Amino acid sequence: MNFTALELRQLALPLLAFIALLGAGSALITWTESRAGAQASVLADARGERSRAKERLMRIAEEEKEVTEKLEVYQHLKTLGILGDERRLEWADAMTRIRTERELPDLRYRVERQRPLVSVPGKPAPVDFYASTMRVELLLLHEGDLLHFLGDLRQSGNAYYSVRSCALARTGQPAAVAGLAPRLRAECEIDLITIMDRAAKT
Amino acid sequence: MKRLVYFTADDHSVYTWSAGKLELEAKFPGDELGVTAFREYLSGHRGGLFYALADLAGEDFHEEQIPYLRGGDREIVVQRRLAQRYRDTRLATALSLGHIRGERRNERLLLTSFTNTQRLTPWLDALAESEAKLAGMFSVPLLAPALAARLGARGGRCFVVTVNTTGLRQCFVEDGKLRFARLERTVDMVPEALASFVRSETGRLAQYLSTLRVLPREGPPVQVLVVAPHGLRAAFERTLVSDTRLSFLTVDQTDAERRVGVKSAPPDTGAEQLYLHLAVRRPPREQFARREDRRSYYLWQLKRGLVAAGGLSLAACALYAGAGWIEIFGQRGEVEQLRAETRSTQQQYERITSTFPVTQTTTDNLRATVVEFTNIAKRSAQPERALVYLSKVLGDFPQIELDSLAWRIEGGAQRARNAAAAVAPSDPKRTATEVLDISGRVGAMQRSDYRAITQEVQRFADALRADPSYEVLRTQLPFDVTSEGTLSGDIGRAAETGEAPRFTIVLGRSVQ
Repeated sequence: MNFTALELRQLALPLLAFIALLGAGSALITWTESRAGAQASVLADARGERSRAKERLMRIAEEEKEVTEKLEVYQHLKTLGILGDERRLEWADAMTRIRTERELPDLRYRVERQRPLVSVPGKPAPVDFYASTMRVELLLLHEGDLLHFLGDLRQSGNAYYSVRSCALARTGQPAAVAGLAPRLRAECEIDLITIMDRAAKT
Repeated sequence: MKRLVYFTADDHSVYTWSAGKLELEAKFPGDELGVTAFREYLSGHRGGLFYALADLAGEDFHEEQIPYLRGGDREIVVQRRLAQRYRDTRLATALSLGHIRGERRNERLLLTSFTNTQRLTPWLDALAESEAKLAGMFSVPLLAPALAARLGARGGRCFVVTVNTTGLRQCFVEDGKLRFARLERTVDMVPEALASFVRSETGRLAQYLSTLRVLPREGPPVQVLVVAPHGLRAAFERTLVSDTRLSFLTVDQTDAERRVGVKSAPPDTGAEQLYLHLAVRRPPREQFARREDRRSYYLWQLKRGLVAAGGLSLAACALYAGAGWIEIFGQRGEVEQLRAETRSTQQQYERITSTFPVTQTTTDNLRATVVEFTNIAKRSAQPERALVYLSKVLGDFPQIELDSLAWRIEGGAQRARNAAAAVAPSDPKRTATEVLDISGRVGAMQRSDYRAITQEVQRFADALRADPSYEVLRTQLPFDVTSEGTLSGDIGRAAETGEAPRFTIVLGRSVQ
């Protein structure tokens, strides 16, 4: 059936109505599906949250045991001064004390500026781990002095001491001349790690 | 509003039809004056929807066979047969009676037209000029199969007999398809006489059809459905007694109207109201009007179809969207329930944890602090262990003199340092390696004794492997004896004057 121009003009309005109605229907479906997708996501989140809450409740006995165990470590960290702000003056005091007590011929150190190491998400606030790198140069009578120095440093607390590198070399002093002169030189790089628990009660 | 033009031999009437109600709107004489009046009438109903129904005596029925064809080819053959049969094919049509069983599967056609089409064409032209939407031009016999079905015909052969205002209309229907019809004029007569007339005319028609071999001479009686005018059923039943040839079933016109769905009709109309109603409600596919006469109707149908399709699409979309929203609302309820359960569980959890040992932080932060600190501590190592181990091994090698030691952590600590930018939690599975570079010399041996020196260094390296946790990562011998390296010597000069040959061993240990 071939249409005349007049007939085509007569068909234009119904055709437009058809397109408009079809478009409206499609838009309705698109809108509904977008809302359904969003709602499905909300539902999945709610299911996940409930599941986690239930799981957490079921593990409560285990958690109590874990809290007891971890609390011990936490308290120990606090006692050692690892938890909380940096205590740079205490570190300086410790270095002076160790040099004196161990009668080290020479001890030079430099602590770099603090940098964030790790941030662990917590509730209600994260737990941030910081590190300050300390470069130490020591003159030693013998290699045992280095081991004593490191041991004393750990004992002094106020940070967790993570040794990253330690180089030990001869000073080159002849044995005959040396006497009590230092025969070894040590250079160490140590991370002084502190923890900042933002949710901790002061 | 639908309108029906009812053509008879005497005059033509226009009825309006709405929800099963027929009302006479206009009546025109069948002559030229009538056509003029009809044109005037149509000028007030331009573009109206019309159905045409002819109830005329001069209607021809002729059976033909055509080859088994489809689509355009069939249409061409049918038009050719109609043209061969009728001089004027404007009001001619072909009804399919089905295909003959057999190899060729010829199609049986019933060609039909009016013997005097000139009487009707001015009226159809008037309709076309007024841009009326002509749904179809039907004749009463074309509607007889639909009426037979409504009156309960069970298939097979049957006569449908009605008393119209134009006369006694007899239609022969076989297997739901029209085969023949005739209209016999009647005059006013008493009910018994009319019933006798029905009986005699039906007998004559049956006889005629037997002669044409349309009806078999032998066989079961043919059912005759007679629509008796209002109040005449009893008289008809008394007269129309079945015999071996014809089996009469009389239906009261009121009952027939109910079965067809007529709600109301003008009081002076006969059984034609049944056909008029069926023309609107059950119009058969076959009709007499040409395609061009129905063009406005097709266009109107197309427009309606477009809007209806759009409406249906929207309705379907709305239905689908409605189902989606029902689901969304259901999910909203479920979310609320889940959140309530979560809140309740959290409250229960908080009640229980309130009895836990007093901490200075939250349980989550306590766990985060200790777990991450443990990870860092695991990846850390102190140089003491490696130095003490080296010292023990050196006890068995007095010829070895160390020049320097370089201890470092590779991997974990380095990565932890790089993580400063990202500030992300560390991976507990990440491992670090503790590395110790040992540089030294082999004393108390002649420099030229490279075999003994190499052997001693290798022995020292082997001794360092004694603890399986340690691994010798690299050994640089005083003399490069590998095929990949360059071997050099200075045999002509006194080698003993120089320093003892140096070696380097790199020791590693994985830190968990």
